[in-house]
Amino acid sequence: MEHPGEGTRNGGSFVVSCESVSFSYPGSGRPALSDVSFELRPGEYVGVVGPNGGGKSTLVRLLNGLLKPDSGRVLVSGRDPATEPFEVRKHLGILFQDPENGLVAPFVEDDVAFGLENLGVPRKEMRDRVAGAIRAVGLEGFERREPDTLSGGEKQRVALAGLLAVEPDILVLDEPTSMLDAAGRREVLAYLETLRAEKTVLHVTHHLEELVRSDRILVLNGGELVADKTPERFLSDADLLRENRLVLPVVQRLALEIGLSPARLRTPETLAEAILAKTESGTRAG
Amino acid sequence: MRLELRDVRYVYAPGTPFEVEALRGVSLVVEPGEVLGIVGGTGSGKSTLVQHMNLLLTPTGGEVLVDGVDATTLKKSELRRRVGLVFQFPESALFAPTVEEDVAFAPRQLGLDEEEVQERVLESLRALEAGELAARSPFALSGGEKRRAAIAGVLAMKPEVLVLDEPTAGLDPATREDLLALILGLRNAGISVVLVSHDLDEVAEVADRVCALQEGRVRAIGTPAEVFYREPAQAPATVRVASLLRESKPEIGAPVRFAETLDALRALQGA
Repeated sequence: MEHPGEGTRNGGSFVVSCESVSFSYPGSGRPALSDVSFELRPGEYVGVVGPNGGGKSTLVRLLNGLLKPDSGRVLVSGRDPATEPFEVRKHLGILFQDPENGLVAPFVEDDVAFGLENLGVPRKEMRDRVAGAIRAVGLEGFERREPDTLSGGEKQRVALAGLLAVEPDILVLDEPTSMLDAAGRREVLAYLETLRAEKTVLHVTHHLEELVRSDRILVLNGGELVADKTPERFLSDADLLRENRLVLPVVQRLALEIGLSPARLRTPETLAEAILAKTESGTRAG
Repeated sequence: MRLELRDVRYVYAPGTPFEVEALRGVSLVVEPGEVLGIVGGTGSGKSTLVQHMNLLLTPTGGEVLVDGVDATTLKKSELRRRVGLVFQFPESALFAPTVEEDVAFAPRQLGLDEEEVQERVLESLRALEAGELAARSPFALSGGEKRRAAIAGVLAMKPEVLVLDEPTAGLDPATREDLLALILGLRNAGISVVLVSHDLDEVAEVADRVCALQEGRVRAIGTPAEVFYREPAQAPATVRVASLLRESKPEIGAPVRFAETLDALRALQGA
């Protein structure tokens, strides 16, 4: 692996470390995770990708103690989620992919406040935090709406606001944009971008375009951590992509097919510019 | 089947302070054997709309017509067999001890004989390349496998119109492509498919026509090129790239699908 453990967890920094973690679901013949080791340093933004069934969701559930490893050890801010799940959950918040499951309260603002109510935050501060989180996800005006009347994408933003209100140091996002439209996705990603350096983020997704600006990308397949690479190296490794049932985003695929470098061309705008530049110079040369 | 919605309106919680007008007069037709993509922003009414297609929700105004007949006059069970609706995250409704039994549940309710039920179960699972999952517990499956098992359950009803609400959300890219291929396969077998998706790239690949919703109204309906080139900022990546090039290179035309776009770009470079 490119990032051997550096022992920061004992220095009081907020990090996550997994040491040779293995886990099997009861009754399943094959381990969901086997011998997975990696670390997150404070302020890192790390992506996790891989096929369905590769172990991504299992990993997420081990990080806050919803599941306990069969062997190996998880540490979050120096604490073991298997033995101190409630302490860990103050530091590490998870946004799950299906927002339906998470919404419990009669009104949006109550739902956003739900996680805080268990932390003993003073009333005034709670109101401020809830209002701030609702603003951050662009849901002002929705405070008194009933979650049942919201669309899937709106529900997902409510869930994200509830997570942000707790102010965890580490955010684990399991497909946070899977129910958002293009505009909503750009909005949430832009917001996540503002959290960089301030929070440590582990971002699980099937949309590789969301990770082109991450620090590292982890690939989980068949329960094993098969790669840990920078986005540039990852996007240009065609074999790695194919072996892990990953497909490049449309812009990168078009770029590759017409002989341009996929790693540098992130948006339709940059691709169109590169094509124009190439055809212009081609015309002059001809 | 030709499924028509005429000026359909729907209000959530009418007469209360929480009243929300989700659909404000939507008219559209799902033609036999076509893939109709329904796109639109978060909260535009996509999911509310599709729940009217089998009268899971009854419109507060307007009407739903099946081959010209008012759908409210049909038996609900018959309507729901003919128009199969797969919800968002349908795997949350899996309940039986094995995938096979889960898929068999709905066809068994139709009163078919057991042989026919088994045949349909196998056929649906095979269509989703999920045959090997038959004997497994739905709860031990991965997200993509669960999704396929849940869709197989609706397919086993042999619907004439299959309505899929965000069927690829949370699926890995390769599984997503398999599902899109399945949609085209069903279309080629004569089944109409309504595909609700916020992923414009996938709608671009499979839709014969596209309906764009905005705030409960139809903003545009037509071929993918007609709808997407009208507002390139809210279009799939292929259309965004091509429309940026169109100003100085009009010869690129109006490609939508990936292969078309690639051909157009290559032609541009070769010229």
